[in-house]
Amino acid sequence: MIELRRLTKRYGEVTAVEDLSFDVRPGVVTGFLGPNGAGKTTTMRMILGLDAPTSGTATIRGRRYADLASPMREVGVLLDARAVHPRRSVRNHLKCLAQSNGLARSRVEEVLGLVGLTRVADRAAGGLSLGMGQRLGIAAALLGDPEVLMLDEPVNGLDPEGIVWIRTLMRELAAQGRTVLVSSHLMSEMALTADHLVVVGRGRLLADVEFDEFIRSSSRESVLVRTPDAEELACRLRDAGAAVRPGAEDTLTVEGTESAVIGKVAMAHGVVLHELTPHRISLEEAYMELTRDSVEFGAAEGSGR
Amino acid sequence: MTVPTAAVPTASPAAVLRSEWAKFRTTRATGYVLAGAFVIALCYAYLFGTANGRAYVGSSPGEQASFDPLETAFRSLALAQLLVSAVGVLAVTSEYAAGTMRTSVTVVPRRGRLLVGKAAVVTMIMLLCGPLITLGSFLISQTMLAAQGAPSASLTNPGVPGAIMGGGLYLTLIGLYGVAMGFLLRRTAGAVALGSFLLLLPASAPLFPEWLAEWAVRYWPSSAGMGMFSPAPSSGSLPPHMGFVLLATTVLALLTGASAVFRSRDV
Repeated sequence: MIELRRLTKRYGEVTAVEDLSFDVRPGVVTGFLGPNGAGKTTTMRMILGLDAPTSGTATIRGRRYADLASPMREVGVLLDARAVHPRRSVRNHLKCLAQSNGLARSRVEEVLGLVGLTRVADRAAGGLSLGMGQRLGIAAALLGDPEVLMLDEPVNGLDPEGIVWIRTLMRELAAQGRTVLVSSHLMSEMALTADHLVVVGRGRLLADVEFDEFIRSSSRESVLVRTPDAEELACRLRDAGAAVRPGAEDTLTVEGTESAVIGKVAMAHGVVLHELTPHRISLEEAYMELTRDSVEFGAAEGSGR
Repeated sequence: MTVPTAAVPTASPAAVLRSEWAKFRTTRATGYVLAGAFVIALCYAYLFGTANGRAYVGSSPGEQASFDPLETAFRSLALAQLLVSAVGVLAVTSEYAAGTMRTSVTVVPRRGRLLVGKAAVVTMIMLLCGPLITLGSFLISQTMLAAQGAPSASLTNPGVPGAIMGGGLYLTLIGLYGVAMGFLLRRTAGAVALGSFLLLLPASAPLFPEWLAEWAVRYWPSSAGMGMFSPAPSSGSLPPHMGFVLLATTVLALLTGASAVFRSRDV
């Protein structure tokens, strides 16, 4: 269980994280989602006591991270998989970490096997590919067999097989009753892993919902209608209780009613239809809509989608 | 994978020390620099021994009477200390350079414990290597003096074992000074450059106004600390034990400052 209460971090004038409160529960995978620069990493660093919050608190099972007696056994962390001493071997890298928390030597070999790095254990950590480096970072997080896992963008640089592997691993860990917090800037990735979603943008909380709930609330359907009598049809549909938005070149976007009803209304008023396309808003679109105002480096209007 | 039992405290000082020792052993750069300190010390002991022996032979009987072979014995430490200080710097800054300091602080969130672990490893290494460097410098320089026909000292001469141990202790303190500089400046280049400059400052004392020069030679910690291995204190310097106290206090103050900065700064 991770609890954040009104967590805030300011760097001078810039507010990286503002008044962030949410809980990360055990037994489920919690997706921590937001565009680049939303404050996800800063938040994780504050939970870990690497950065001091300007105000607010973050606790893990009721205690500040710095007060944990055996940090690696309680929290497994992947922040930056590239942070390895480049010339130290993979095995020695893990050994140094294991020793700092008095973990058994056998754990090093166990996690090496678990992430599939046994074969390259004697290679220099700096010479690993991006994907293998990521596996090493995950191995380090698993060393202490921790109750809580915090993984920052774990699928970065993994090949498709690696992505499936980490996805399965996270689901398994959560199923064992562990707390799993995983950050990402990709909704598509979260859709396959997360049970719960925490969405942030510009350091603020935008959503804290069950994944199913997020799908239900965002899966609005709309219908694209193309007709030479757009104005006429819009009037009639509004009378019938639908929400109508006129689009470019004789098109209408209709929400709150089905294609069949639109067809009937059109026929009843002698309106010719050229196109009638039902459209379900994808998760990706719902997410982009949610974070639209908080994208730091958004493309110019109209160039997206 | 099993769900672990209740966590017992394990990031203990002893565990941190073992981990820091493993890190030191598996960081090649620090080993190379330490080896460099040996090479520099022994090569310059050879050069100083040869040069001073030759100077003795060519000097007047009056000068020959006041010749002290021990003056030559530890000259090379003034240069070797720069590399020893860099060993301390690298033990810290190699972690910043690789980005692993963040990992280290994550697995050992008690930052003071981490700093003490690093300092302890450098202390242990230098308590072993320091006296070896001074012993080697002594033996080589005295052998070279004798080879030129100049008077030389042996290990059994009064004050010699003490000077060798004092020199080793001096180098240990210099290594710790490097650790403090590493934590304070975080960058290898900056910490080595500033660290070396401050160590060498007394060497430029002759350029200073006289009052400042006298003060620097007498009280500047690296200069005062060298009294620990100068068997015959010259008139201007502090007694050896005072030199030790002054240098040790300075290093301790720097480490305390480094600890305060390290604990309050975002990693």
